[in-house]
Amino acid sequence: MLTKHELLEPLARLRGNAVVITCMGVTRPWASYSESELDFASADSAMGHTADLALGIALARPQRKVICLNGDGSMLMTLGTLVTAVQAAAKNFFLFVIQNDIYEITGNQPIPGAGQVDFAALARGAGFSRIYSFDDANSYATSLPEVLSGAGPVLAVVKVEPGSEGPISRSEREASNYLKVSLADWGRRMRRALNTRDPTN
Amino acid sequence: MAQARLILEELKRNHVTHVIGLPDNSSAMLFSLLSTDQDIRLVSVTREGEAFAIAAGLWIGGKVPVVLVQNTGFFESGDSFRGTITRMRVPLVCLITYRGYAKLVGWRLEARGKALDAETLSRADLDSAALITEATLKAWGLPFDFLHADEDVARISEDFWKAKESEEPFALLITQDMT
Repeated sequence: MLTKHELLEPLARLRGNAVVITCMGVTRPWASYSESELDFASADSAMGHTADLALGIALARPQRKVICLNGDGSMLMTLGTLVTAVQAAAKNFFLFVIQNDIYEITGNQPIPGAGQVDFAALARGAGFSRIYSFDDANSYATSLPEVLSGAGPVLAVVKVEPGSEGPISRSEREASNYLKVSLADWGRRMRRALNTRDPTN
Repeated sequence: MAQARLILEELKRNHVTHVIGLPDNSSAMLFSLLSTDQDIRLVSVTREGEAFAIAAGLWIGGKVPVVLVQNTGFFESGDSFRGTITRMRVPLVCLITYRGYAKLVGWRLEARGKALDAETLSRADLDSAALITEATLKAWGLPFDFLHADEDVARISEDFWKAKESEEPFALLITQDMT
């Protein structure tokens, strides 16, 4: 199993100009590696719909990579999204399922199917052709450049250690910039950033 | 009843780039037109909740999405709608087909303002989806208007204008099957 540092640090180095969407247990940790205006915290948002939001951005901006760091509990809530992403042929969509087998934010209760659910198999059944599974830091770090190159949609399952992130809010008290403002304000800010950077895409 | 062709033309007049949704009998004709349209991309989803979050992402990405779902699918989308479209103030126009509307009209005359109760909601001659549609939209903060026939199609453009001005979503309830 990887630590969150082992998961996020290589990703932050290799993300380039990709959009990165976070949720749940990696929301705050990601902000210690990146302060990009192309980061989006799907916090104080719709439960389980982080991957859908990311897919929408990917469809809007087909020339820009969109990396979604989804929780395993969140993924279970909207498994149909796996089918939708393949059907939509989102070649710039890179969906990471961070599997720690718990609902970390609410006190580490086990998710349904903890220790049994196979997200790679679910993705294969949905039609994903590029699927990766990692449970050690070395193979993850070595393979990440390959994961992030080429056409998607890509699904990468990464097994990480259970953490202890508490409930996430949006307020000035949060240390992360992307949690200090409302979802509406950050959404407008990201929209401006994308439209400025990709005016013809 | 409204022609799907006119609705599609109105969507194009408002520079819609994507329609996200799930078909029902009322919207089948419009879905059929969209499936081969060259200007607007149809994004089919497995459940309606996906549609609103995808629409929010498309809007962040600078596109002009429309969500097209049945009222039952809108109920399913509650947290998705609240947590993305409402919280992000996405100026989204939603086309919601109104299952059960015809029976509802007769019941309103009969009920004369009587509150909904379990007996009414379980009546076989009424559709509970229709009974709770408008109350649900009001409770969830989604202003709405009606699209009954061809002459109402221009309301789509009015809703786009209102949504943009107020930075909030608007819905058009489509009360009859499209032709």
